[in-house]
Amino acid sequence: MRLGLLTIFTLGAALVAGPAAPAKRPSWRLPIEVKTLPNGLTIVVSEDHSLPTVGVSVVYRVGMRLEPKGRTGFAHLFEHMMFQGTPVAPKGVFDRVIQGGGGLNNGSTRYDFTNYIESAPVSALEPILWLEADRLKALDFSPQNLKNQQEVVKEEIRVNVKNQPYGTFWLDLPGAAYSRWENNHDGYGSFEDLDHADLKDVQAFHSTYYTPSNAVLGIAGDVKPTEVFALVEKYFASIPGKPKPALPDLKEPLNTTEIRQVKTDALARVPAVAVGWKMPARGSRDHAPAAVLAELLIGGDASRIYLGLVKGKELLLNASGGLNFPLGGAWDYDGQTLFSLFSLYKPNADADKVLAAIDEVIAAIASQGVTSAELERTKTKMLADFYAGLEIPLSRADALAKAQALWGSAAQLNEIPGLIEGVTADDLKRVAATYLTHPNRTVIDYHTATAKP
Amino acid sequence: MILTRQALTLLLATSTLTLAAGSEEKPLPKDLPPYGVDRPIPPLNIAQRTLPNGLTVWIVHRPGFPKIASYLAIRGGNAYDPADRQGLTGLMAGLLNEGTTTRTSKQIAEELQAIGGELNAFASPDAVFIHGSCLSNGLPALVNLLADVARHPSFPDKEVELAKANTLQGLLAQEAQPAFKANRAFNAAIFGSHPYRFASLSPEVVKGATPASLKAIHAARFQPNQAVLVISGDLQEAATLKLVTAAFGDWKATGEALPTIRETPATSAHQFLLIPRPGSVQSTLRVGRPAVAATHPDYIPMQLANVILGGSFGSRIVKNIREDKGYTYSPGARATGMQVGGNYMVRADVRTEVTAASLMEIFYEMDRMGTTTVGEVELQSAKRYMGGTYLFQNQMLGALTGTLATYWVNGQKPEALSEFIPKVNAVKAEEVRRIGRTYFAAKDQTVVVVGDEAKAKAELEQFGPVQILKN
Repeated sequence: MRLGLLTIFTLGAALVAGPAAPAKRPSWRLPIEVKTLPNGLTIVVSEDHSLPTVGVSVVYRVGMRLEPKGRTGFAHLFEHMMFQGTPVAPKGVFDRVIQGGGGLNNGSTRYDFTNYIESAPVSALEPILWLEADRLKALDFSPQNLKNQQEVVKEEIRVNVKNQPYGTFWLDLPGAAYSRWENNHDGYGSFEDLDHADLKDVQAFHSTYYTPSNAVLGIAGDVKPTEVFALVEKYFASIPGKPKPALPDLKEPLNTTEIRQVKTDALARVPAVAVGWKMPARGSRDHAPAAVLAELLIGGDASRIYLGLVKGKELLLNASGGLNFPLGGAWDYDGQTLFSLFSLYKPNADADKVLAAIDEVIAAIASQGVTSAELERTKTKMLADFYAGLEIPLSRADALAKAQALWGSAAQLNEIPGLIEGVTADDLKRVAATYLTHPNRTVIDYHTATAKP
Repeated sequence: MILTRQALTLLLATSTLTLAAGSEEKPLPKDLPPYGVDRPIPPLNIAQRTLPNGLTVWIVHRPGFPKIASYLAIRGGNAYDPADRQGLTGLMAGLLNEGTTTRTSKQIAEELQAIGGELNAFASPDAVFIHGSCLSNGLPALVNLLADVARHPSFPDKEVELAKANTLQGLLAQEAQPAFKANRAFNAAIFGSHPYRFASLSPEVVKGATPASLKAIHAARFQPNQAVLVISGDLQEAATLKLVTAAFGDWKATGEALPTIRETPATSAHQFLLIPRPGSVQSTLRVGRPAVAATHPDYIPMQLANVILGGSFGSRIVKNIREDKGYTYSPGARATGMQVGGNYMVRADVRTEVTAASLMEIFYEMDRMGTTTVGEVELQSAKRYMGGTYLFQNQMLGALTGTLATYWVNGQKPEALSEFIPKVNAVKAEEVRRIGRTYFAAKDQTVVVVGDEAKAKAELEQFGPVQILKN
């Protein structure tokens, strides 16, 4: 071990401090290199040599929306099966090698993609790539592993949904708001469907969707792109290419009649309300304005809903929400998503009062727009949060792989600050008036078991 | 001005781990490539300075990413509150950014938004932490706002009333969470009357809070000679120090010295406590006991033993009750070290009908830590994992800044950052076994369960008498 050198030195003339408010937002871009192998696998690399660590994310372009009918929750169950070993590397090897290399790993399933992530000292990169290639080739399709993970997933649903108050709001809102099965079914899964999943389902899903052309491999950190491309080729190039599975267009028109439900939550002690609006498609003209509008409405302690309803009218206990909330952020969805909010409300409030107050906030923006000072502040905060989401190699690898998989261009990630910059007050008026309407709104009012009728 | 500057090094491992399987493990795939050679970690520059009023200032220059993180830590957290008003410090901390003598809460929120910033405060048992972040060119504004909320909070009547009402409702909402009830009961069971038992405000304490009582706590605790300010990121040391001196230099120490907190109890009773929760489909388990302070010689060996037992995905408890038995989704374990004591806790949410079976396996794995010696491969792997995760965590500005502030609160120097991994690597297998024997024996653990009254009780009675708690 080496302890730090102790030096004493005198500073020169003190530098002049900057102005109290920054005149300009700092701009910062990620270096991005992309390569596609003959079998269709796309690799995205971003180098940063400040620390000897690396982040890896493999994004497969399949999520809850494309799971088979009668198999709700299957995409997520399959994600668990990806950690259950392969014919070559039996169960346990994956975690042992990554942990022994000083690394962390995880996976998550979303509407339109599933991602598998690792972060480790860069000395573990090569075995990590080998392991990712290995589980793209084949899995250990054993009944014991499937049974074990069916139980684990059911425990996951118990701990996150069934044993929690309001555990289901993020399933309830899309369930009520969308009309197509792909968009509105329970992506965590019914226990019945989970139990019915069999090894043939696992094999078919792997064979269809876990192919090089349906995957993007993001790697960021203390690496050089040419070296990474060579390593990835070494381990992935021999995997046979298959045609990219078809991606159905699952977008729906905006709703024309308000949907409103009341649910009684036996575990809850305080009532709550969830509200969602169908929002524009990813990459459309209204996308960035929708993202800025969501931030302006509910992005934090200076947002309109916080200042108006948590403070101000004092109707809500808290206010959380956003575009693509809570399963993702404003930029990592495909097709369409909801602008959702979820809040506990207070004894002096009810859902009608909360909705009326939200209507007031929205109407003010739709009719009067916002001041340039508020718009600029909001953009600055969004930019800071966007950068914060790219602080470490793992987040960079994941964001780049998602951008490549969903937008078709990893370089698009560097364009997002520009998209935010370009949003005008008129855009906000238009988007508020077009999307945040009564007919396009879905409301779920959660009552406690003992609440007033 | 003179700064003491240190270049701290984070080391990974003293020797390169080979992928060879130990006798206790199955062989690895023959084609799996080996780990590469570890690369050196560039030193971290920390400038240190103590202002004439006693405020400790640590500045970390880390360029390349356009953000700043800051932590102001002030000694004296919830454990320093009178027993009948415990948690008032936390309530006070939450109100710091709700108004100062010159700014309303809205002004504070909007000024922060304008620099892409955040500023929030919370109380730990030992200290109050005010943590902030912003885009790098917002540093001057952040320092000024931080100084304002730390030095001149006004606790406006209306904000205090709203915070009290929301806290009371929030407490009611939290009563629905099994983890909240389990942690509260666990802390009370293992710490007895020691102030570290505090887990949550009581409604009575909230109702009794007034702007005057919050101001009094603030005035007594917030002293420059009881505080550290850590600022990290893409900044200039000299300019940052100038900003800090301008904003904090005339802060005067006026309060009384902090009382001393007595040591925590060394042990807790081996008992089974059940908190009934109607409608629970799982048993929320807590198994543990009082353990050691963050600066105790056993703390780092215990962290390593914890990685092996339950603190990582590849740990024994996770492999056993999740990957083998499928009893639970997210089991885990944690050794928490504070200033004068700490605790060890294994947790899992399991379906009700496997409550006893899960506890049997947890007890088995805990006892095994003291009755057998860990193999070299498992030990090396755990060391690598600790090194890697420490590096992973501290590559994040906010986490690094918080780690340093917490070190200061615990009486440690910034060097603790570079000493951590070498100390982990020096732990021998026999020492892990001693930790297991001393702290993990099943017969020494307190068990708290939140779940279905009748079913969970029948499960727990297989071990012995069960005490039913109301909450």
